[in-house]
Amino acid sequence: MDILWFGVFAVLLLGYFALEGFDIGLGMLLPVLGRSQEGRDRVVAAMAPFVLAGEVWLVAVAGVLFGVYPRAEGEVLFGLYPLVVSLLVSWIVRDAGLWFRRRLDGRAWRAGWDGAICLGSWGLALSWGTALVALADGMSVTPLGLAGGAVVAAALAFHGWTFVSWRLPGQVTGASRGAGALLASACVAAAPAAVLLAGAAPWLLGHTAPADTLNVLSFMILPLAPLMAGGQVWVWRTFGPRGAADRIPSFF
Amino acid sequence: MDVLDLARMQFAVTGSLHFLFVVLTLGLAPLVAIMQTLWTFRGDPVHERMTRFWGQIYVINYALGIVTGLVMEFQFGLSWSGLSHYAGDVFGAPLAIETLGAFFLESTFLGLWIFGWHRLPRGLHLACIWIVTLTAYASAFWIMVANSFLQNPAGTVDRGDHLELVDFGALLANPMLTMALPHVVGAALLTGGSVVMGASAYQLFRRTPEQEFFTKSLRLGVVVASVGVVLAVAFGYAQFGPVGEFQPGKFDDKPLAGLGLGFMIMIGSLLQLVVLFFLLPVIRWLPRWRWAHPVVMLMTPLPFLAAILGWLAREAGRQPWLINGRLTVADAMSPGLTSGMVTTSLIAFTAVLGLLAVVDYVLIARVVRRGPAAVALGAGPGPDRERAAALSL
Repeated sequence: MDILWFGVFAVLLLGYFALEGFDIGLGMLLPVLGRSQEGRDRVVAAMAPFVLAGEVWLVAVAGVLFGVYPRAEGEVLFGLYPLVVSLLVSWIVRDAGLWFRRRLDGRAWRAGWDGAICLGSWGLALSWGTALVALADGMSVTPLGLAGGAVVAAALAFHGWTFVSWRLPGQVTGASRGAGALLASACVAAAPAAVLLAGAAPWLLGHTAPADTLNVLSFMILPLAPLMAGGQVWVWRTFGPRGAADRIPSFF
Repeated sequence: MDVLDLARMQFAVTGSLHFLFVVLTLGLAPLVAIMQTLWTFRGDPVHERMTRFWGQIYVINYALGIVTGLVMEFQFGLSWSGLSHYAGDVFGAPLAIETLGAFFLESTFLGLWIFGWHRLPRGLHLACIWIVTLTAYASAFWIMVANSFLQNPAGTVDRGDHLELVDFGALLANPMLTMALPHVVGAALLTGGSVVMGASAYQLFRRTPEQEFFTKSLRLGVVVASVGVVLAVAFGYAQFGPVGEFQPGKFDDKPLAGLGLGFMIMIGSLLQLVVLFFLLPVIRWLPRWRWAHPVVMLMTPLPFLAAILGWLAREAGRQPWLINGRLTVADAMSPGLTSGMVTTSLIAFTAVLGLLAVVDYVLIARVVRRGPAAVALGAGPGPDRERAAALSL
């Protein structure tokens, strides 16, 4: 049971970087890939249907951390207090930009929220990179951590670039990428977290909640796993490149 | 203020903001689902327009529910690591089940619903909003399970330095949960119904061309608010039993809890009187009685105020305990937390979330003012639709 729940935790954390990483990367690249308002609209519309299904993986990571590794949860989140706060504020600013950018007329309004998306995405990437290095390094923020931020930012930007070349081939980056390339860039985005997870596995397993708690979680969650996976697959089937040529206005 | 007060203040501010938005999310979700069900099975275009208009308000409100919720989830680890250290084996379970078994599905299917207009088959699109509604209520259930455990740690045994979960059933059958959950659900329906009533009354009062649309909406709002106020008031009083048993001194010498309770009861009684004994009996004529519409509009903020007061009563009345009788709030605070840390994050969260909350309410008010013709949600392809959508983009 310990191993099963470690597997769930690993899938959720790596899934977050694979499925939400490109949204963050595209947010970072927004001013570059969309030099005009129409260009930015196209980039945001390309990622918009995936955001809600992607960011929720991190909510689930935090939930599993609390339920399965309660003693690690406090240690990790409190140990990284400033980084967790900057991650949350960045996440909030990015999400607000997405939800609000099309809610009023006016170019200044939309350009302002596009700036929030970009700023929030950079904050997310740099906070994550610094946090991953700090976790590997005994919870201390060092210059090396900032280098980690740059590595994660580059990986997510690459993933975002590949995603939009897959979703809107030839239209935004000028390049066309297939599903294989997208899978490869997802692996790149998830690689830093995978390295940390491999190193932290023994420590995490040592903090696992007792069997009674895990039994309750398994009993309540595992029957829902097919619906959870089904919803995710449905999102990708519905909003993939084949649906991209339509003229339905985007909500974000 | 010392560091403990600051950490409590941070939780209270972010928690209150979160509750303001989720209480409306919970109230509006079933209304939108019912409207879309009527549209799917009867095919009347007014129900499609109602789904999109009230759905747009629901979705704009939802944005703040998400971002405030993120802060809530991570805050336990940031400021209250003593809680997960002592009771994480118990308290973590309902929260983990909430994120995985409820919110994960809610967020995924909400994305499918928002972006799936004109892409998904009608029946499956309808299924999405029902899954979103059911999982929203499942979320409320698990959060209330966790909260009720703090009020009365049922089903657990103290093993010296930590609590152990011995009876999961007792955690779910907690008397502090069984009476409080229907109360919260009632408060949410009352809030959703009141917003629909208030916005409809505003449009009818202005005599806009959307008479049929807002006549139907106003009546639906009155019915839902009536159901809500009955549940909220009845299960409000029903809680005095378990509270007297498990938290006998809950409202003694605690001004905040006592005031919260007193004013909440006052607002609840007033709303019950107006909704059940005035609005509901005259529901047939109410849409045409222009003089009554300002009264309905003025009622709109009251359920929100009552929700915050009720939450204050429940949580302030638990002090000084975090887990009643087991762990104090002071002992649960993360060891090593400093005033500087909490002050910085308190200012950051309050400034960002406070600003976004104001923007969110202004955007909702704007949707209400502009009416159903300018709704972006569910706008389809084609020049007419495109133009209508572009107006509100």
